[in-house]
Amino acid sequence: MPKDIVSVPLPRKPRPVNTIVHGTRLDGRGPEEFRPIFFSTGVIPQATGSAYAELHNTKLMVGIYGPRPSDRWVGFSEEGRLDCDVKMAPFSSWQRTKWGQSPDERAMAGLLGVALEAGVQRSAFPKATVDVQCLILEAGGSELAVAIAAASLALADAGIPMRDLITSCTVSRVDNQLLLDATSDEAFQEDGGVLLAMLPSLGQVTQLLVKGEWAGSELEEAVQLSMSGCKDVDEICRQVLQEAVQPA
Amino acid sequence: MGPQPARVVAPGDSVYQLPEKGEVRVGSGIHQDGQHLITCRPGLLSTTQSGKVWVAGRQKRYIPQVGDCVLGRIADKHSENYGVDINTPFPASLPVLAFEGATRRSRPNLQVGDLVYARVTAADRDVDPELVCTDASGKAAGFGAMTGGQAFRCTTSFAAKLLSQPTPAILTALGRALQFELAVGLNGHIWVHSPKPTTTIIVTNTLPKGEFLSDAQAEMVVKRIVSTMQ
Repeated sequence: MPKDIVSVPLPRKPRPVNTIVHGTRLDGRGPEEFRPIFFSTGVIPQATGSAYAELHNTKLMVGIYGPRPSDRWVGFSEEGRLDCDVKMAPFSSWQRTKWGQSPDERAMAGLLGVALEAGVQRSAFPKATVDVQCLILEAGGSELAVAIAAASLALADAGIPMRDLITSCTVSRVDNQLLLDATSDEAFQEDGGVLLAMLPSLGQVTQLLVKGEWAGSELEEAVQLSMSGCKDVDEICRQVLQEAVQPA
Repeated sequence: MGPQPARVVAPGDSVYQLPEKGEVRVGSGIHQDGQHLITCRPGLLSTTQSGKVWVAGRQKRYIPQVGDCVLGRIADKHSENYGVDINTPFPASLPVLAFEGATRRSRPNLQVGDLVYARVTAADRDVDPELVCTDASGKAAGFGAMTGGQAFRCTTSFAAKLLSQPTPAILTALGRALQFELAVGLNGHIWVHSPKPTTTIIVTNTLPKGEFLSDAQAEMVVKRIVSTMQ
């Protein structure tokens, strides 16, 4: 970098103090409402399957590559492997990220893998690996949940056999109120959070991640809320696939 | 279970309850869960009168099936066989003796990167797919190396549609207007060759557009393109 160019960090927009004002959220949603959801498939031509997801400020893309023969060091396996990789674009959040995989990205890749593996029929591609590559373009909150839903759409687009679509959503507890599909500001304020991924038609949960302290009844309520959220996402995913198969 | 209008399905849809008696032949894209048949990929649910059920998906990946004619690219050269990339999870093998008239002394001289039209003779989840470049009686019958022309990709379902009867309108219209050779592999590879490069390019660009066109639209598109050419 030439010496006369100085990199000045952008001033950070302060986090809002209250995320709930008079019962509504900062973006005008009710507590049990999603942000506007947009999904689309077939966005990466060279990938076997791909999907783009946008929930207001959260934008990400998933590409599915393969199946390809598993690397030799993996060894023989009757069941195929899902190799998940999550990458935050350097410009995705307020703070520009450094080069290389961050611990956050590694953790998200692991959680994404667990959520997807239970839904994919891995016995259909023995000795092979399917690469799931997720790029987060803008991190506006609930990235992992959106990534799981988008990855399942991309897998479906690729024609990888699945037991069901896998959908996911988050619930945050802010000021003792449960908020569905939390933004990054709300997640920052939360004192407890739930991420749930499930197979909606089969009614099976593939991933449940709970943060913070929860009373039993309260947690049950949060899980119920996220399960109904997953069903809503599922409906949208199915519509998207319908349009992809039979363009109007 | 009679024929029904094609229905769009997504993974996890329960499409049928198994009948008390009778025969149901389950094809790709569907698996059984107890008494229910459940789809495992998106596509059009297709049935026949004889009780076959499958999901016709619009996928790019190809699952090999014995008897399929495929277009592949030579990826490896070994002493006894060629490794061929036919768009499957694992590379297929093509024995050097699987050509018409090939012997140990006179073997085909194919290079890495060459395009071959071949027939799948073995496809199983436990072994790599195997190809031959002859028909069942040992004749070349159009199989073998494809020289000249150019190849491009399409979805496997469009490739199957191009090979099905009646021939899609876009192909018949192009065939009426232009002179060219075409080889369609069920793995979603298409090879086009013609005496004039312009024709090859026109076919390459026009053919994939025909996937979702009605007969009348396809005729119109071809007419327009051919008129601008002259």
